[in-house]
Amino acid sequence: MTRVRVTAPATPARVSQETREAAQESDVGQVFVRSLIRSQLRLALVVAGGFLVILAAFPLLLAVVPGLAETRIAGIPFGWLLLGAGIYPVIGLSAWLYIRTAARNEARYRDLAGDQ
Amino acid sequence: MTSDGPVNAAVAIAALAVVSVATAVIGFYGLRISRTTGDFYVASRTVRPWWNASAIGGEYLSAASFLGVAGLILLSGTDALWFPVGYTAGYLMLLLFVAAPLRRSGAYTIPDFTEARLDSRPVRKVTSLVVVLVGWLYIVPQLHGAALTIRITTGLPSWVGSVAVVIVVCLTVVAGGMRSITFVQAFQYWLKLTALAVPILFIVFMLAGADAPELAPPAVNPTGAPPAGLYQNISLLVALLFGTLGLPHVLVRFYTNPDGQSARRTTLIVLGLLSVFYLFPTAYGMVGRMFAPDLARSGQADALVLLLPGELVDGTAGDLLSALVVAGAFAAFLSTTSGLVVSLAGVISQDVLGAGVGGFRLAAVMSAVVPLAFAFMTDSFALAGSVGLVFAFTASTVCPVLLLGIWWRGLTDAGAIAGMVTGGLLCGGAMVIGAVAGAASIPVWLAQPAAWSVPAAFTVMVVVSRATAGRVPRTMARVMTRLHTPERPLATER
Repeated sequence: MTRVRVTAPATPARVSQETREAAQESDVGQVFVRSLIRSQLRLALVVAGGFLVILAAFPLLLAVVPGLAETRIAGIPFGWLLLGAGIYPVIGLSAWLYIRTAARNEARYRDLAGDQ
Repeated sequence: MTSDGPVNAAVAIAALAVVSVATAVIGFYGLRISRTTGDFYVASRTVRPWWNASAIGGEYLSAASFLGVAGLILLSGTDALWFPVGYTAGYLMLLLFVAAPLRRSGAYTIPDFTEARLDSRPVRKVTSLVVVLVGWLYIVPQLHGAALTIRITTGLPSWVGSVAVVIVVCLTVVAGGMRSITFVQAFQYWLKLTALAVPILFIVFMLAGADAPELAPPAVNPTGAPPAGLYQNISLLVALLFGTLGLPHVLVRFYTNPDGQSARRTTLIVLGLLSVFYLFPTAYGMVGRMFAPDLARSGQADALVLLLPGELVDGTAGDLLSALVVAGAFAAFLSTTSGLVVSLAGVISQDVLGAGVGGFRLAAVMSAVVPLAFAFMTDSFALAGSVGLVFAFTASTVCPVLLLGIWWRGLTDAGAIAGMVTGGLLCGGAMVIGAVAGAASIPVWLAQPAAWSVPAAFTVMVVVSRATAGRVPRTMARVMTRLHTPERPLATER
């Protein structure tokens, strides 16, 4: 049985990507790429760190303020509301912020690399 | 024999049949439009973000999410809320560190990615082995969930549930590949959401007039495990946050996005879908704690979602609501298992059998039957807990090689292999000890290994890569450029 390697077809978009990559291997091109990677990594770490701080703050808040966890809103204890529902909007907001900024970083890279 | 129980057996069997037939029909419909090898693997990257996000949600929400989370909340209260939070936040980490670069890598599977990044066949072999192990480990709890559902709701022997799931999944995957799976998965997300939401909303409105009893923790601990301390919660979060970004069936979905930016948009939609979904298992757990705490005492916590509607709602309404949750639960087992089988079959057929549609079909059957044997040999314990261990294993093996491969230029093939083997042995060893000795009789650091096995895998990977810095592949700069630069052609093409 012959082994067939499964790869994506060589569409025009893919071919143009490969010529583009060759151009980006110049020293100047690599400077831009490195700075793009650094800014994307910094962004990801900041968003992840910020999210983890908020995540840690929720149970701390419940532990520090006595009786807060047991206070009932519409019959549901606040501790349950905070951990069971309150964290999700924080996750969504972090994701939305990240996507906006990541796209902006890429647009800036495109401008720089295009100006060569 | 169970017609006098909380779930009407005939209604439950009808619900199971409807879900299975619907899944198979959508799968066969997909057969007509998927023809080439590319179609079989990744739906030719033509799937829209909403479809794709629904499909990811459908695939990700497994037995652990549908049954296990509510059961664990019933047992351990607010401590168990970290499970749904971790399952969702894991997707945030995936978005931040993996989604767009992985899509831009242009690879079909995780072994494809590591091979392309490190230019090394041995790395590919080790990654394939790890991915297949993860997939098999993850399918086992799904089959346990199916066995539990069948036993509790129809009174049939447990094995019927596991075997039924394997048969339906094999038929669907063999017939349609990923294209039909995408439709099936998307359908099953919405089915699962409806199946959880309608009964609990009905129950909440019904109980709205009643005084809410105290949420005092039931004074039972059927598993005998010590209550979760700080270490356990942190270790669990480490496993869930870092484990999600290494799950093979989740990652293969990202190749179906047309470009990196749409991979990010898809992930954002997935986060929304998961956030909405997890409100409902949480509600089941809470209502169960208030109104049906005796389920925890009888050791049926994992069946809480299945039994609660029948316990609290009488007559035909109760039967219908029960049928709905049973259908949803079965959809959960089917969708996660078929997603795993597709991604495993992709790996097995490429690396063991030789690619091609025929190899893919044989590989699909292999990927489903091996865990079935595991499931027969092992006993189900808390579903959410056993899935949590699979996440710990992924976080200790696939996650470091992905993260360092995407973000660190210094990674070498030797470092990647050493790190994956270390993480796999440490975490796998802890899991084996836990399975042999029983989860209750081992110390917490062994029961929840992620907090030390994940850093150990990262450390070994970095140290060995540093020591073998001469082995950084010559293609590294080109691959890193491809991973991180946007796809759209530059403004000024020369």
